[in-house]
Amino acid sequence: MSLQHYLVISSILFTLGIFAVLTRKNAISILMGIELILNSCNLNFVAFSRFVEPAENIVGRGDYLLDGQIIAIFGIVLAAAEAAVFLAIILAIYREFGSIRPDEIDTLKG
Amino acid sequence: MEFTLKTFIFYGFALLTIGSALAVVTLRNIVHTAFALMVTLFGVAGLYVFLQADFLAATQVIVYVGGILVLILFGVMMTSGRLEMRIHIERGQLLLGAGISIALLMLLLTVIANMPVWKNLTDDGRSLEPTTEQIGTMILQEKFLLPFEVVSVLLLVALIGAALISRKEVRD
Amino acid sequence: MVVPLISIILLAPLAAFAIFALFGLAKRSFPRQDILSTAAMLVALGCSLYLLNETSDPKPLTVEWLSLGSITLSMGFYLDSVTVIMLIVVTLVSSLVHIFSIGYMHGDPRYPRFFAFLSLFSFSMLFLVVSDNLLGIYIGWELVGLCSYLLIGFWFEKDSAANACKKAFLTTRVGDVGMFIGMMMLFSKFKTLSLHGTGGIFTLLTDPTKFTGDTADIVWLSIAGVLIFCGAVGKSAQVPLHTWLPDAMEGPTPVSALIHAATMVAAGVYLTARMFPILTSSSSLIIAYIGGITAIVAATIAIVRFDIKRVLAYSTVSQLGFMMLALGAGSYVAGLFHLTTHAFFKALLFLGSGSVIHAFHAMHAHHGEEHADDNEHEHDNHSLVHEHGSEIPPDQDMRNMGGLRRKMPFTFFTMLIATLSISGVPFVFSGFWSKDKILAGVLGRAMEWNSIHHYILFAVALLAAGITAFYMFRLIFMTFLGEPRNQEMHAMAHESPWVMVVPLMILAVLSFPVVNHLWFNKDNFKPPEQVHLHAPEQAVVLPDTKIGFTFFGISEAEAAEDEGALDAEQADDAHHVHEVAHNIAMALSIIVAGLGILLSWLFYHKRRFSAESVATTFRPVYTLFWNKYYFDEFYNGVLVALTVWKSRLFAKFDLSIIDGIVNGVATITRAIFAAFIDFFDNRVIDGIVNRVAKVIWSVGGRVRRIQTGAIQTYLFVVLGGIVLIILIFRVL
Repeated sequence: MSLQHYLVISSILFTLGIFAVLTRKNAISILMGIELILNSCNLNFVAFSRFVEPAENIVGRGDYLLDGQIIAIFGIVLAAAEAAVFLAIILAIYREFGSIRPDEIDTLKG
Repeated sequence: MEFTLKTFIFYGFALLTIGSALAVVTLRNIVHTAFALMVTLFGVAGLYVFLQADFLAATQVIVYVGGILVLILFGVMMTSGRLEMRIHIERGQLLLGAGISIALLMLLLTVIANMPVWKNLTDDGRSLEPTTEQIGTMILQEKFLLPFEVVSVLLLVALIGAALISRKEVRD
Repeated sequence: MVVPLISIILLAPLAAFAIFALFGLAKRSFPRQDILSTAAMLVALGCSLYLLNETSDPKPLTVEWLSLGSITLSMGFYLDSVTVIMLIVVTLVSSLVHIFSIGYMHGDPRYPRFFAFLSLFSFSMLFLVVSDNLLGIYIGWELVGLCSYLLIGFWFEKDSAANACKKAFLTTRVGDVGMFIGMMMLFSKFKTLSLHGTGGIFTLLTDPTKFTGDTADIVWLSIAGVLIFCGAVGKSAQVPLHTWLPDAMEGPTPVSALIHAATMVAAGVYLTARMFPILTSSSSLIIAYIGGITAIVAATIAIVRFDIKRVLAYSTVSQLGFMMLALGAGSYVAGLFHLTTHAFFKALLFLGSGSVIHAFHAMHAHHGEEHADDNEHEHDNHSLVHEHGSEIPPDQDMRNMGGLRRKMPFTFFTMLIATLSISGVPFVFSGFWSKDKILAGVLGRAMEWNSIHHYILFAVALLAAGITAFYMFRLIFMTFLGEPRNQEMHAMAHESPWVMVVPLMILAVLSFPVVNHLWFNKDNFKPPEQVHLHAPEQAVVLPDTKIGFTFFGISEAEAAEDEGALDAEQADDAHHVHEVAHNIAMALSIIVAGLGILLSWLFYHKRRFSAESVATTFRPVYTLFWNKYYFDEFYNGVLVALTVWKSRLFAKFDLSIIDGIVNGVATITRAIFAAFIDFFDNRVIDGIVNRVAKVIWSVGGRVRRIQTGAIQTYLFVVLGGIVLIILIFRVL
């Protein structure tokens, strides 16, 4: 279970998220893809923070820094905020267009 | 690498995460995908546990599964109706998306494989002391206090904004 | 300490103007522009007085301003005793004029604008004074010209004022062209316009590698000097470009005092003094002659004027001639000293006349309507030269005055002091000292060089001094003494308010020799050396045998050879000669001044002689004086008429021949080419245009579809791009 294991897992998650964002025809599915991407990021943070030695070892903190974990916590908070706003926007769009299919919302079409 | 119980469980979690994520992006029924996402999130939480991030794993389960996922389900309920649960997919778009995604994955994997400093960073098997207390100290007393405050304000703003956007517009 | 002070001196009036320019017009009546401008001038005055102690080591303070290839133009300040004294004169007179104007211009519809223009003028004049290079001087020079134009035409509803300001602007421009050519001559030779310091023109003059001093160079330098002097001729109203100054009296009287008596017209003298080192024998002589001729011509014209302001205007011209004469005769200190004293007493005379005019009229109250009427009656824009002899405004006509001394005691006494000063009443008045110094300087030069030219000039100057005393006392007698000639106007007259009288009193104090110590108690003050000016070697110079001044300095190189040995001896001789000259000049000047005053008293107070009978006896001379030597008529009749005639001729040529050719060509063209061009236009040109439009239309229609509005398409492109970029960078 080296760092590279986690990196591969997070890469796959990231790619699947991108795939979902690119291909799904439902805004909520896109949100799910974004959640996948965010999770892959958080996993990366935590993995790096676990395996990469800090520049100077800080005594009394265990052997590794917790900064990565804390940033992951912030990431979760941001994901929550993002999900809330995203859904609010989706609701507004749904009211306006009667649909949440991204290819039908094309008022900017040239 | 010897095949211990620990590695067995790790690979189990990894496969669970990836497999359910695959389900998230491929299943046609949106409610099913939501439940697949739940499994993915659980899997990621398990991986956190392997990384000795106990507090984070708990947070992941509580916030994601308990909060965000429920939010998503509400969204599905309010927008899709009973008939629109199925997701349309266009074949061309699917192929193009798959192509780009695979290319991206290949690139990432190449980078991961070719980065010499990232090799041989293996888990030494030590079990560390619980992180909850340290995280609490760092967030509430030390260098992450200000970001913590900022992010809490951000969360507040996002919630108020979400409420404002999603409520029915009162036209006068 | 010097740079910040100079900056304050310059910026204070500029700021006062800028505030008006930015905010003054927005609100229709900006409330306290007068206070603002006056305060700015007082600040500048304070700084100037402080600078008196800072002149011990004059050196230019410059910054590089503009690089033209290998040549760099710099801008900067130069502060020596002359600069500081000029600064004090300008700021002091300007401050007093500002204060006076608060009373004089009260109630004018453009009251704030007047003060803003005064501020702009003060800035320009101060900039001119402190500049260390010809370019800066030229910029200030043109700026003061502009301000003069704006202020002469301040009451532009009056046709005469509108014409006068155009005339002033154009006439001075004639001189400025010469000045610019002179500047460019110096620039082409020395590749710099800086005057002082190591790289300056004055230093380079003594550098044999830059300026050999041979005949060709001296001729060249003489021409450049005369051309630069042309600018001074225009600005300082010397013959033959003096005609604009009397007409400039159409401006408000404080303007006449500040610009057309004390400061701007003295800028020409200042420029000539600044350029003193480049003057050669021949250019000096030309300057001296022009100054002398101006002095006598203007003085004689002044005798017969009845408009109080025009008497003073011709008097100014005459006094400026004196200054030029002094500079031309090498009396540097005398010229600048007279500039200083003249600035004070002439400003006083003008302000006094303003006080008299103010007493007489309600012009400010309703000049607007008056001049609206004027516009319709006399609308003759053909001639820039304005005829004024017959139409003196009643409140400026001395024939309407008389006996004002009881009505306006303060104005009378202050103007009397100034008159005594300008007339050269001995010993207690500053004007005596400065004029005496000029006369002594000219006579000294004449005796030293035995030059017939300078003897003639001395005689002319002496005569002009006597005439000055005569016409100035004529003014006093006609205005303030005797019995009132116009009872109705006399009854209206009243002493001016304090805000106008106080500046008069301050200037009256300055007409006593209180400012002399500025010039004579300073150890460090000595005139700049005139490197290329030499005395002619022959003992007695007669015009018919050999011209005393070898024109354009042809024999000066020879004269320079045996100079070294004789230096000490010559210095002693020169000192002695000047001592003698000084005594003679002083005695003679006292005599002529006394004679002038006596004659004036007999003519205009005692009425022992009748001016009218003298005028009839010498009818031709009187006519000549009355018509101002026909300068205006000459310009009007010859130059303006010539221009008009030429323009008409060209217009006719234009209409018949040029237009004929053009029309003929047009007809032919229409007949022959029209058909072809029509075809070409319709088919080829229109075809190309339409085809291009169509292509663009269809391309646009296709390209438009890229803009799908679907967010996922964009995302595809973005991510595909990212992948592509990474691939490219990894492969390469």
